[in-house]
Amino acid sequence: MGPSEKEACVLLDTRLLAFMDQLEILEEKRERLNSLIEQGWFSMTKARYSMGNKQVSALQYGSEMQPLVRVHTSTLDNGKAEFQIERTAPGERTVEDIGPKDTGGLRRRTHFTEEVVKAEGYQGYQPSAGTEAEKEPLPSSKVEPDLQQDPIRWFGILVPQTLRQAQVSFRQVVELSAEVAALQSAVLTTREQLQLQMKLKRRSQNEGQKEGQKDSD
Amino acid sequence: MAGRGKLIAVIGDEDTCTGFLLGGIGELNKNRKPNFLVVEKETSIAEIEETFKSFLSRSDIGIILINQFIAEMIRHAIDQHMESIPAVLEIPSKEHPYDASKDSILRRAKGMFSAEDFR
Repeated sequence: MGPSEKEACVLLDTRLLAFMDQLEILEEKRERLNSLIEQGWFSMTKARYSMGNKQVSALQYGSEMQPLVRVHTSTLDNGKAEFQIERTAPGERTVEDIGPKDTGGLRRRTHFTEEVVKAEGYQGYQPSAGTEAEKEPLPSSKVEPDLQQDPIRWFGILVPQTLRQAQVSFRQVVELSAEVAALQSAVLTTREQLQLQMKLKRRSQNEGQKEGQKDSD
Repeated sequence: MAGRGKLIAVIGDEDTCTGFLLGGIGELNKNRKPNFLVVEKETSIAEIEETFKSFLSRSDIGIILINQFIAEMIRHAIDQHMESIPAVLEIPSKEHPYDASKDSILRRAKGMFSAEDFR
């Protein structure tokens, strides 16, 4: 066995060990992913038991949906793909949004003319306060659809705790699925590298045999 | 993190889709095209395959989650997909537990140790 062949063997062994490690991690993550999904279903079933048989179904999905989770992908030079989860918080409705919309009706007179103040001897009048009140922006009355709504609202306002638990489980599943996807990609890349390394080893072995034959001749 | 991230798509039974939508992955785009497919008894294999292929062709999808028993129905289409993005993840369903020996990726990885590779 020549030095180049020995190097190739060492490299092959290192790659193989890395491949085995990746497979082991993938199996662990897979197990965790599957148990979290099962946990989510179990919580969902418990919620359905308390809410009613026909609750928490596809019929209740929102008519508008905006994702609260996105995944950032990138491909490294060696062909390995990376996945990173980005989560945005659902848009919270404020009290002003829920309450009756004020469409510009005057609630309190803010204009005091100098004459009125002088004539009535109004003590609390401050000219600057009036102008500031005018500049103060009114709460927006524009009706915007609450697209980034928490999906749990589709199933009711006062949902059981078990449905929230199901949501937490599935959020964790989403995070974990990005890790599993990255690991799957890593496993396939390492496999390709291993196959390439095996071919190189075989080539160097064949060359070594040919050289040996020439020397014996 | 620069740019807008991609979506996670689901093809699964009702409970799987509901769970993942609860997790916040759901989107209905401007054309009201969803990034999920609820597979029911009446759903045809052709429809599943068409949806899977449409998800593969969409540039805004990064991961496709699919119940393993549904993946079995369109195994040929899944095996044809060799790119790393979008990644295809097979997940269990309520009636069908996850079987690693059926998983496309693990079968490919297992192929590493076949007699062919050692020749």
